[in-house]
Amino acid sequence: MKTGTLVLAVALLAYPFVLYDHFYWDIGVGLLLAAISASAWNIVGGYAGQVSVGHAMFFGIGAYVPLLVFNLWQLPPIAGAPLAVALSLVLAVVIGLPTFRLRGHYFSMATIAVAELIRIFIGTWDFVGAAIGLQGPAVGRGWWDLTFRSELPYYYIFLVVLAVLLYVTRAVEKSRFGYYLRAIKAGERAARSLGVPVQQTKLKALLLSAVFTSIAGSLYSIKTGFIDPESGFGILISVQMVIVAALGGAGTLYGPLVGALILVPAQTATNTWFGGGGSGLTYILYGGIILVLARFEPGGLHELWQRLAPRLRRTPRAA
Amino acid sequence: MTGPAARLAAIATACLAVMGAVPALAADTVKIGILWPLTGNAAAAGQASKAAAEVAADIVNDAHPDLGNLPLAKTAGLPNMGGARLELVFVDHQGSPSVAQQQALRLITQEKVDVLFGAYQSSCSFTATAVAERQGIPFMVGESAAANITGRGFKWVFRGTPIASDYAATYMRFFDDMKKRGKTIGSIAVVNENTDYGTSVADAIEAAAKKNGIPVAIRIPYSASSTDVSAQVLQLKEKQPDVVIFISYTADAILYIKTMRNLEYMPPMVIGDDTGFSDPSFIPAVADIAQGVMNRSAWDIGKPGSATYLINEMYKKKTSRDLDDTSARNMQSFFALADALNRAGAKDPEKIRVALSQTDLKPDQLMMGYEGVKFDSTGQNVLAATYLIQLHGKKYDLVWPDRAAEAQLQWPMKGWK
Repeated sequence: MKTGTLVLAVALLAYPFVLYDHFYWDIGVGLLLAAISASAWNIVGGYAGQVSVGHAMFFGIGAYVPLLVFNLWQLPPIAGAPLAVALSLVLAVVIGLPTFRLRGHYFSMATIAVAELIRIFIGTWDFVGAAIGLQGPAVGRGWWDLTFRSELPYYYIFLVVLAVLLYVTRAVEKSRFGYYLRAIKAGERAARSLGVPVQQTKLKALLLSAVFTSIAGSLYSIKTGFIDPESGFGILISVQMVIVAALGGAGTLYGPLVGALILVPAQTATNTWFGGGGSGLTYILYGGIILVLARFEPGGLHELWQRLAPRLRRTPRAA
Repeated sequence: MTGPAARLAAIATACLAVMGAVPALAADTVKIGILWPLTGNAAAAGQASKAAAEVAADIVNDAHPDLGNLPLAKTAGLPNMGGARLELVFVDHQGSPSVAQQQALRLITQEKVDVLFGAYQSSCSFTATAVAERQGIPFMVGESAAANITGRGFKWVFRGTPIASDYAATYMRFFDDMKKRGKTIGSIAVVNENTDYGTSVADAIEAAAKKNGIPVAIRIPYSASSTDVSAQVLQLKEKQPDVVIFISYTADAILYIKTMRNLEYMPPMVIGDDTGFSDPSFIPAVADIAQGVMNRSAWDIGKPGSATYLINEMYKKKTSRDLDDTSARNMQSFFALADALNRAGAKDPEKIRVALSQTDLKPDQLMMGYEGVKFDSTGQNVLAATYLIQLHGKKYDLVWPDRAAEAQLQWPMKGWK
């Protein structure tokens, strides 16, 4: 595992220099953002098995607050990120307490409903730009605005955030808290009967998840320089997190990153090759990937690897 | 090496040789990167505009002497660039601001386009133009309406289409004209759907009315998904404005007209702000009870044989539909861009930018009812305007301004009477 981590780290660090071009850097940034969002979702959706399809609510708050503080007080957008995290924590408590009483599909549906309510509310609230949205600084006033001409600084900022998140997740995995989470996933009632403080553990997982999802949102809006209700709170934002994590393997440390490594380039490539034709082939291919996955490998690539790895290791000896 | 493999290799080599040879023979091309929503919920508008851009490129690339003073129609290609042809590279931004940003970057760095064009949704135009500004590539915004796409201090962004304030100004000029003809316009009412589009247009109308000293009796924002608007119509009935302006989508526009009929309320004039009133389903649904309703459109097919009529025929041949106002505004911006490319005389971005900023197209060189195309220092076309049309029978006739009018304006409107 140690060598694997090292190889991955080196590959991610070296990527911008191997593919030295603005467009490839931008794909890299998108990939890291997807990995961060999905990894953040993974804490509650993967490890604890509480499939939230409303994580866009934290992402949206994270995305809106930085541009809001810029528009209101001309502060550098990044100054809004801590405030966004605080708001997300409050929201996580308010949402978590009632919805965690629900199980399975009911929990998922409740999270969708809340996220959609927030999206509609934001879309009619003039203070946050209503349906028109908010813009960031068009041209950076200084490095502190984090409005760069090149995508390269974003790439490394995002990479650092992902590294921190994975480190935290790894720590959670090994801790008592991590065992509680997996116990809840395996069987809530059984976990409770063994003395796991279920509600409290779930809420803690949601809080941790909300913090990083909010940070992902802030990174997105600072990099894009624009946010509107659909790109902040849209249901596709939530769905993307679920799909990326599920593809790589939900509830595993590197699952979301692996999912992003496959899905983001696939999305960009299909859109680049077929999007201009306007036939919608992009979505057909994208949907096809998801369909194949759901049919043959619902556990994600991580499970596939676990099944194939021993066989691959045996092959050289057989030869 | 013999057999199929050898033959295949020979064919492949020949193909490569041909591919290498052709560009050397053909005249140079100018690449235009175009970003539109070709999938997603605005796909219909993106697809229609794509067809319009293709027709426009055909007009520039081939000789069309029958199209009057339209710039670059008479000649094939761009004469100042040795007959260089326009090559369009379409991308689908799926209505997502971040995809628009990424694809704009790809068009510039990978496809090496000379200029950019797009991007329909204002949100996508915001992000895509920022990329062009950073990379120093001219960007022509075809028809996105949000006011602050221009005016952000960008020097590489231009916009050919009229925006909310232009529409508001047109309505004010129209009212002025009507007053001169002895019609009473004591007060107006503004009824708008409450999202991005309705709010921005209504704000602009309210501001313009204030400036022109026309009292706004009432402003009624509503949700376009309302299923009952009786309360709103009763409010109008109570205030008795001389003109009611609706900024509405389709189903709600129809609902308003029907509700006004049921409640027996008819102001002297109703003006619809394009969109719902221009939707193909509006006329069949309410033509009988909405006689004389006015609407705006900068596009008019015109008389048979006219340049606009011929353009519409070309578009119709491609799509079997008439050209709509949105696609036509995109097409006009495209022609303005092509005209600037030709005057630039080279593919140098700075030269193209300067040529764009010096654009000065006269009304007879346009396919749209603008006063011309001329960009101010923010890149906005200051001569953009629109026609006003009126529902007569089962179709809209152009009734204002007088220089373009095809039919007599009826005031007050007849409605269902």
